[in-house]
Amino acid sequence: MRTTIVLAVLLAGAAVSLPADAGKSKQVRYVGIHPVPKSEGGGICYIEGPHVHIYAGNKLEYRDHGGANYFVGDPVAYGYDGPKHVYKGHHPIHVDMVVGDDDSDVEFCYLDGPHYHSFEAPEGPEFQVVGDAYFYVGEPGPVYVEARPAMIKVNAIYEPLVYTRPVVEVEPPTAWVGLRFGAPVVVVPAAVVVDAPDVRVRGPRVRAGVDVRFIVPPPPSIRVDVGVGFGLSGGARVKGEGGGKWKGGKGKRRGW
Amino acid sequence: MRAAILLLVLAACGKSDSAASTGSGSNLFGTTSEPREAVLDAWKKGGLTPSSFTPATVAVGKDCESGTVGALDVLLCVFPSKAEAKQAETAGLGWVGDVTGAAQAAGPVLVVVADRRKGDPSGRTINQMMKLAPR
Repeated sequence: MRTTIVLAVLLAGAAVSLPADAGKSKQVRYVGIHPVPKSEGGGICYIEGPHVHIYAGNKLEYRDHGGANYFVGDPVAYGYDGPKHVYKGHHPIHVDMVVGDDDSDVEFCYLDGPHYHSFEAPEGPEFQVVGDAYFYVGEPGPVYVEARPAMIKVNAIYEPLVYTRPVVEVEPPTAWVGLRFGAPVVVVPAAVVVDAPDVRVRGPRVRAGVDVRFIVPPPPSIRVDVGVGFGLSGGARVKGEGGGKWKGGKGKRRGW
Repeated sequence: MRAAILLLVLAACGKSDSAASTGSGSNLFGTTSEPREAVLDAWKKGGLTPSSFTPATVAVGKDCESGTVGALDVLLCVFPSKAEAKQAETAGLGWVGDVTGAAQAAGPVLVVVADRRKGDPSGRTINQMMKLAPR
């Protein structure tokens, strides 16, 4: 009898001490094509329909679609070699139309500048095609605006990726979202200080839509251009309100 | 004569809506393997090489057969209707386990694929299988 009681207590204790996720699957649901993490071999997963993996997607490149991760980034950056279409700037994605289900879902892509997606934009007034590129000319609404500050951080993921980006040199339509909502917030400190041998320059405040280039060749000289991107040559150190950061050797920032 | 009429009535009742709409092999005597054969035929026509499939006792469904397509483990379960096959997708993912895989209804057939040997890292074969399976 005592043995039975002890066993019962031990079993009850074991049940209580099980971790919360005991017995749960590690499966993560996806729908549509998406990059495979480098840790899992890299490249692209080409499964278009619903499927599962045992790795998670990040919050900047994926949106929830009916409990599954849907990739909203540029697949070409990860080696995608299927049909592709050029977009410029931010735009909505009608996920249900892309994956072919009935779960109505509009998500936004916050990639600046020209980029690729594997799908065409839907026909209608939302998009205009100029120079073989889709420009979003619709009304994005408050959801887009509210999420924008957090979601435009996705561009930092793509900046170091080396791949052939699309080139769009045409003038955007006047109703393009990139013109109406302004240029992206340029992450540059308000007061720019360039330390170079014996030279200290305090530059103007850099606002969205105005890009500044400092070039510090030896012997030091400084050139300031407006509207040609931000960058430094010669590995100069940039300081400002947000603390200094190295921008040496970086090319100019891509605009919208 | 009465027996003949009764048989005719029973035969007419045996044709369910799902069978009529999918052209599946459902009949008076239950589900046949025709829909499963249709999936296998579609894969073969698409250039895939499915192995022979053998009956499998699994929790996903009562009429299931398992086999392989290349390095992929495959389970094909036939259900009386499209809706029931769709409903069983979650159970199908249970059969997949903790690997890359998919479970999708193709008409009355639930197609479940598991990449347990990591033989399809790009997912191209899984994608092809799901797209070729007749809806």
